Amino acid sequence: MSDYLDRYGRRQSICHRMPAIAKLLLTLVVVGIAVSIPIDYWPVQGVLGCVILLGHTLARIPISYVVRRLAIFLPMLFVLSLSLPMSQGFQTGWDLMLSILFRSTLSFLAAIWLINVMLFDQLLITLRRLWVPEVVIAILAFMYRYIFVLWDELEKMRKAREARSIGTSSLRVRWKIAAQIVGMLLIRAMSRAERVHGAMCARGWDGHVRTLDP
Amino acid sequence: MHIPDGFLSAPVCAATGAVSLGAVGYSVRRLKDSLSERTIPLTGMMSAMVFAGQMINFPIPGALVSGHLMGGVLAAVILGPWAGCVALTLVLVVQWALFADGGMLALGANILHMAVIGSLGGYALYSTIRNFLGRNARATVTGAVIASWFSVMAAAAMFCVEFGVSHAGQGYSFRNLFALMVAYHSLIGIGEALITGLAVSFVLAQRPDLIYEPKATRSIHQPISRTLAAGLVCALAIAAFLSPFASAFDDGLEAVAVKIGFDELESGKSLLLDDYEIPALTGDWQTFSVSAAGLLGTISVFVIALLLGRSITPSPSLAEAPRE
Repeated sequence: MSDYLDRYGRRQSICHRMPAIAKLLLTLVVVGIAVSIPIDYWPVQGVLGCVILLGHTLARIPISYVVRRLAIFLPMLFVLSLSLPMSQGFQTGWDLMLSILFRSTLSFLAAIWLINVMLFDQLLITLRRLWVPEVVIAILAFMYRYIFVLWDELEKMRKAREARSIGTSSLRVRWKIAAQIVGMLLIRAMSRAERVHGAMCARGWDGHVRTLDP
Repeated sequence: MHIPDGFLSAPVCAATGAVSLGAVGYSVRRLKDSLSERTIPLTGMMSAMVFAGQMINFPIPGALVSGHLMGGVLAAVILGPWAGCVALTLVLVVQWALFADGGMLALGANILHMAVIGSLGGYALYSTIRNFLGRNARATVTGAVIASWFSVMAAAAMFCVEFGVSHAGQGYSFRNLFALMVAYHSLIGIGEALITGLAVSFVLAQRPDLIYEPKATRSIHQPISRTLAAGLVCALAIAAFLSPFASAFDDGLEAVAVKIGFDELESGKSLLLDDYEIPALTGDWQTFSVSAAGLLGTISVFVIALLLGRSITPSPSLAEAPRE
């Protein structure tokens, strides 16, 4: 998981030094333009694509990484947008599908740029400046902290299951086991939350998070 | 199913964003009332759990892909509607911020489908069924199974409406898209219902105290609004089935689009292509297949609910088994 979380977020570049709010707004504008212009204005989309790729270059995000992400994203997008001409009996809808493909790919590239030049804590600070309620920010921060813990827990359970089941079992059994893992993860997460809450109360927790950031 | 950017037009994104903002904002306010200083650890941990839980793959026979849980109803069953809605919203925000899953502008639509319809709507249906059946373990599982299936269907129907409004007046028949999405999502819904049902019955067997119990209703308006929300979710899902029958629906959608003012998007294409001249997927065959899919889905969900409800017996011996 750490393989693709915040992977290039700590690099130094002109894009990384931009204020977080500017990065967020810039991406919003680019995505807004990408989804709004019709396919007939394809030169505009071409220019937009060049601008986004220039951003990737400036942020020193390796092209191999972008290609890898696209290799996961594009087939999914293709199948999803194929449902459109499929619903028209493959007679029409190809132009709409094409425009969706273009728009989505551009937006996805812009999003890839944003998540690689902005760390998660930067996003939290920005969201706080945007008058997102304090409690939401605190829950987000708490969640981000425990994603990794629960991820480890999940990996342990997966390994334990694999160690105990040799070969392929029937579909019914596999579904049952997977659902039990979901249930077990839920139970463990909730008991952990209770323990953590108790520990927080023991240290004077009153429902307010205090940070060093002004 | 996270909607990427590009599927919905900017005005539709703005509208869904506004609706989601309102619903989530209200949930946050209710959340602070109900959980007080336990809000942050409980909701944060549950959000992280749903996030991790979505990584667990479920094999699908005959398909290369594997499915995963969406968890709207599951979160609401454990945490209650308000915390469930906030948890799902934050899961979507984090998935966008870390993986670029789902669009930036489409975030509002995704939140509407999975958090608002999934958790708030799903919980309304779940608690209505549960109260009706008598609030015992079997009622809980039955409610969760049925609610998760209907919430998936309602979200699919909602997406079709949004997509239709986004691209109204371009000469496409969205009736067929509706049909396709409904057929597809009735299968996804069965998967979601099955996982949710199994997970809830597992929790019921191990830690029944974790299931959310609403406090005594503070006002008489609450049950009415819940019944209304439950009815809305059902209506959306049922509308999805009935849409192939109602050929007037397309016109209705177009009329709505004209009223809202999207008709200026209308291009010359609609003059060339008649809305109803699409072969292959129209006619009796399509109507039949969609309704059959809907019927099949409904029946199988009720069978799942029945079987899971029957199989519930607390088994304390299992409590220690999955530990490593």
